[in-house]
Amino acid sequence: MSKENLPTIVFIGQPNCGKSTLFNSIAGLKGEVSNFPGTTVKHAHSKVNIKGKIFQIIDLPGTYSLNPSDEAEREVLNHLFLEKVDLIINIIDASLLNRSLELTLELMETGYPIVIALNMMDIAIKKGIKIDIEKLKKILGVPVVPVIATRGKGVKELLEVAEKEIRNPSKYKHPKLPKPVEEKIEQIADKLKNNIDLPFNKRFLAIKLIEGEKYFLSKIKLNRKIKEIIKETSHHLEDWHKLPPAEIISASRHHLSMKIAEEVSRVEHERKIGWEERLDEILMHPVLGYPIMFIIFFIFFFFIFKVGNPLEELLYEPLSSLREFISLKFGSGLIYYLTDGLVQGIGGGIAVVLPYFIPLIFGMSLLEDFGYLARVGFLMDTFIHHIGLHGKSFAPFILGFGCNVPAIMATRLLESRRDRIITSLLIPFIPCTARTTIILALIAFYLGPWAALAFYVFNLILIAIIGRVLTFFFPSPSPGLILEIPSYKIPSIKSIAQKTYFKLKSFINFAWPILIAGSIFLSFIQYLGLDSSINSFLSPLIHNILGLPKELGVTLIFGILRKELSLIMMLQALGVNAENVLSAITPQQIVVFTVFLSLFIPCISTFTIIWKELGKRIAFISASLNIFVALIISVLVRIIFQLIR
Amino acid sequence: MLSLIEAPLDKPLRIVQFLGGHGMRRKLMSLGIHVGDIIEVDSRSLFGGPVLIRSLTNNTTVAIGRGIARKILVTLINE
Repeated sequence: MSKENLPTIVFIGQPNCGKSTLFNSIAGLKGEVSNFPGTTVKHAHSKVNIKGKIFQIIDLPGTYSLNPSDEAEREVLNHLFLEKVDLIINIIDASLLNRSLELTLELMETGYPIVIALNMMDIAIKKGIKIDIEKLKKILGVPVVPVIATRGKGVKELLEVAEKEIRNPSKYKHPKLPKPVEEKIEQIADKLKNNIDLPFNKRFLAIKLIEGEKYFLSKIKLNRKIKEIIKETSHHLEDWHKLPPAEIISASRHHLSMKIAEEVSRVEHERKIGWEERLDEILMHPVLGYPIMFIIFFIFFFFIFKVGNPLEELLYEPLSSLREFISLKFGSGLIYYLTDGLVQGIGGGIAVVLPYFIPLIFGMSLLEDFGYLARVGFLMDTFIHHIGLHGKSFAPFILGFGCNVPAIMATRLLESRRDRIITSLLIPFIPCTARTTIILALIAFYLGPWAALAFYVFNLILIAIIGRVLTFFFPSPSPGLILEIPSYKIPSIKSIAQKTYFKLKSFINFAWPILIAGSIFLSFIQYLGLDSSINSFLSPLIHNILGLPKELGVTLIFGILRKELSLIMMLQALGVNAENVLSAITPQQIVVFTVFLSLFIPCISTFTIIWKELGKRIAFISASLNIFVALIISVLVRIIFQLIR
Repeated sequence: MLSLIEAPLDKPLRIVQFLGGHGMRRKLMSLGIHVGDIIEVDSRSLFGGPVLIRSLTNNTTVAIGRGIARKILVTLINE
């Protein structure tokens, strides 16, 4: 993050409120993703020019409240507490005004200037909800701007109001809590004033302390006297209402938002049973839901194959003619090897990875934005429940099909550490884009799409079995599923294209250089003749145990960097083109190689992120588990093939 | 009083009590589901899978695992 002292606007809203869509429509294609100090979560941030002034805008993770129940939500609280915030843009789903206001009321305790972006006005109107914006403004005392993020409507007005608010903030009153609570808050805030020197709202801090928010209790040095007062306060409030203080406060905000929502909104016509309810009756049907889910994912992967495969074939040809040309031009010296390595690296990225990577990310964002992924979480809970996790783990799993790294980070959504560890140990077994590429490029390309699908299904069954076994080592039960099922939204192609572009950009920046460098390095190793010594070192494993040509040994080294590197290296190591691979290796060997390659180790980035998120021990357990499973399964596959023959 | 496991489908119900621990209550509350709210059970999946509820108070649909559904007590509202 840049350390420039720009005025900072943070975007905060509940999940599925369209926050990131709004952010992306403002950031355009300039948005960047990076780490903030002290955290590992990546926030998108960008700079925006409003009336000639430059502002920094930051997209924080979606959160239901400032009482975090998982680590992603905790990030929002951390950020409000530790970083510079000049204005909060609070995004509200207008069709869920009542619930969204609970977060708004909580944000109003921070004392920061707030602008409310009332999003999805179009959906609210369709649902027959009419909101009196002027009245809402008056009750809350903060500016409210209606927007339709998917179409970029109202965005300009929103930014102009934001700019004005930073210059000249509206004075709003904090929401009133029940009297006994208010008294205690005042008392503690007063004590804090004399004791703590923080550029932070004392009232908000006092509320958090009364609520017993662990983060604050651990981060702030309090003297014994204040600690005692806080303890006495919670006992007092608990006696008064027979509930923990956090619940008293939450309930009071709940009722207040209900009251405000009732005052400012009017339901104009009776809620009809719309297409959404009908669709849910089918898609979430206790029986029908499953075959439909299977069909949807089948079509999904078929689509990726149908888009990716012709592209791959189309791009192969110019690549191999270019390589022939290079071989004619440079003969067989060092220059030939280096140029060939470069072309292989660049070409491999374009011809092998991108044809499948782009449609996969695009399709995944489409399913997510439409709201189907949450429904899959509901359907899959039934099964995942039996391997000792709950349906929410399915979201990281699904993300794992794109890339394991964000999937491991997404395990922060899980409430318990046990669930995080099991899910994180399972994720490296999920075929990510890189491995899907390998499966498609090897199995589908040489053995047909059905074989690839069978491989996929087998992979999923394997994950279920490993999960079941892992739960023996972590016997305590999972806390169980509580997952919001958002209403369906017609996805905006523009916003999905933007998301795809962002992910593509980070792939190109991060992976491609490694790919090109690795490819040149391998060429160099070949030029020096070192590859044969690596191969003979790995030969007992590759040749004797797995029954593969020993030339493939060196490719596995690159698989540790990124899996798809092995694929590109495989062609190079075998000394063949994509068209005549079957002259060097049998279809059975392709399967064994693919199995071993896709399972044998988490790639270096996945390994690093597991280390970072869950510690060294879990990272090494994960690597060992992968090697162990890869060996067993590959040998089994080899034996089965020999028996069939 | 019934738990969400036994409650009839598509009938308005009032939440009476959460029996579960702190984490579960906190999560439900942050989703805007509180004691006193009116909800409906939309569907229950087979084989011990989750229960789908809709809050009529604030129009939110939430999937709740069996274990937690067992700890949410409700009463039938007679229309």
